[in-house]
Amino acid sequence: MSVLIDQRTRFLIQGITGNVGRFSARDMKEYGTVVVGGVSVNRREREVEGIPVFPDARSACTATGATASVIYVPAATALDHVIEAVEAGIKLVVYPGDGLPARDAIEMRAAANANGSILIGPNTPGLISPGKAKAGFMPSFCYTPGPLGVISRSGSLSYEACFRLTSAGLGQSTVIGIGGDAIKGVAPAEALALLHDDPQTRAIVYLGEIGGNDEYAVAAYACGPGAKPVAALIVGREAPKGKKMGHAAALIGSHADTHPAKMQALLNAGVHATGTLTELVAAVRAALNTSSRTRRASRNEGSL
Amino acid sequence: MLLTEYEGKCLLREAGVTVGDGFLASSADAVTRRKLHYPVAVKAQVASGSRGKAGGVIRAATPAGARSAARRILATRFGTERPAAVLVEPWLTIKRELYLSVTVDQAAQGYVVLYAPQGGIDIEHGKPPVRYDVGAARNFRAYRLREIVRDIEPDASVREKVIALARRLVELASTRDCVTVEINPLAQLEDGSLVAADAKIVRDEYAAFRAPDIAASVANANKRQPQPIARALAGDLMLVWLEGEVGLISGGAGMTMASMDLIGDAGGRPACFLDCSNNPTPAGYRLAFDLLDQAPAVKVILVSIFGGLTQMDRVARVMKDIMQQRRSRKPVVFRLNGTNAKQVEDIFAGTGLRNHATLESAVSESVAIARQAGRR
Repeated sequence: MSVLIDQRTRFLIQGITGNVGRFSARDMKEYGTVVVGGVSVNRREREVEGIPVFPDARSACTATGATASVIYVPAATALDHVIEAVEAGIKLVVYPGDGLPARDAIEMRAAANANGSILIGPNTPGLISPGKAKAGFMPSFCYTPGPLGVISRSGSLSYEACFRLTSAGLGQSTVIGIGGDAIKGVAPAEALALLHDDPQTRAIVYLGEIGGNDEYAVAAYACGPGAKPVAALIVGREAPKGKKMGHAAALIGSHADTHPAKMQALLNAGVHATGTLTELVAAVRAALNTSSRTRRASRNEGSL
Repeated sequence: MLLTEYEGKCLLREAGVTVGDGFLASSADAVTRRKLHYPVAVKAQVASGSRGKAGGVIRAATPAGARSAARRILATRFGTERPAAVLVEPWLTIKRELYLSVTVDQAAQGYVVLYAPQGGIDIEHGKPPVRYDVGAARNFRAYRLREIVRDIEPDASVREKVIALARRLVELASTRDCVTVEINPLAQLEDGSLVAADAKIVRDEYAAFRAPDIAASVANANKRQPQPIARALAGDLMLVWLEGEVGLISGGAGMTMASMDLIGDAGGRPACFLDCSNNPTPAGYRLAFDLLDQAPAVKVILVSIFGGLTQMDRVARVMKDIMQQRRSRKPVVFRLNGTNAKQVEDIFAGTGLRNHATLESAVSESVAIARQAGRR
């Protein structure tokens, strides 16, 4: 299994006639994702990449039975498109765009909650269930099916990390880009809960960075009862204090934001944590080994 | 974007919060040109914390005292910043210093209110403030905050004023795109009234497209940056200057930081965080090279990009062009991977450019070059 999306998920792409929408439509289809419709408020074209284009989300949902949507529109209109999607009945919305004001992120999340929908983003490449479907623009060759649930704050780092895992024969169940902003549609605790409940996922890989509290949510999960084993890579050891490192949330203000503080919290929680990309694969192998050990142990207990 | 106290207090006043009746002065003369009721507070206007501990707030009882206070503050550097002006306000006789702030927080899924009955410059060493998770601004409920504050704020009249203020601050944060509104201290005066004695407001730069005042202050702040940073910002690149020798041109915050860390692992020092993902165009990359080529400290340039939306065949063609046209002789090391990366080798063929298969090998070559240059 995987979480949130698979080969049966029916997708819309809102903003499909833009450059990014067009590129992603072709790319998602090539991967085998079921893209059933596009939305363009201008609707100058009847179809893009063989996908019918509708003037609004409601008519697209009615005509196609879509339940998921990836939205490629600028930050200025993003909130309106997300609200339109969730009110049309879309249950999974992915908004990859960056530069979204915090207030709009707050409202997006509230709109998704109010309609029983899940929002991934902002500031993310999206999510992928390897071999099944992708909702976003991550490079497909970096992924292969397998037992690892991956959660990442950074898009580019998740490509590199998954490329290494895939090259090492370590496949993924679902890779969720939770995004680099302070307010996220799916926060780490929620992503962890999804992967925790997924039977295909044997271990969790968390890709984090300096700034914000996300890493502490991961530590809290890892030391809780019955947690799946967790490996983590935390980047930003060389980052100076008080400077925003690209992501809105990657900023060292307090001690808790620093690289050593986060590493310590994760290691204390039993996470196989490293601060170096080079050691990621080894850390993930160690986590998978603990997972088979605990499974053996629980089997033995069962036989007593 | 952190506002100065004066700018912050203007926003607070518009939101119906009581602030001192002060004025800005950019010279000692400008302070005493006005007729004032002494004593006054003379306060450095800088966008950095711990100003009070650094001598940035001085009480003056006479015009001569105010002049010398202003002169002293205007000549002082606070952190990296020299104040362009002082704020002169009536000196407040404070009965108690409180702490009240509103900020954006993931756990709250929106705004959170923080309150402590004892505030002031030692807030970080006292008991941590209590928090009320509001979420979206319209979810503010006075009775919820009252339940949370009841046990730590026994003075009912103060408590009710704080609750009313908190609502205004949440509304201010939401309507005016602020990600932090902090009043510390919130001063309780002898007559029981509450006055914002300081203001730390951070506005959301991402809202510049709809808030002309934010756009203006972002543009202003960018102009005040040192030359290379101002140029990078104008070209939509994110640049943080560091101390090292290995120049880094990268894409995406996470990969840029991971590359910096690997440079450190290999015994080198990154010269910068330079993220081109917002402008992965010929102009953007040209500017990135220009910035690093002109920096004498940079001995080698490492291009480390793992593109998703950024298509690497395009990047490789741009790199090829730049390498052919660029005047600087600084060595460049490439590690390009991601969407369409298979075509990079063909594009580089016959140019003498080499694309490393792993980030580690690219980093190790870059650090070796930097080390050699250091020895010369």
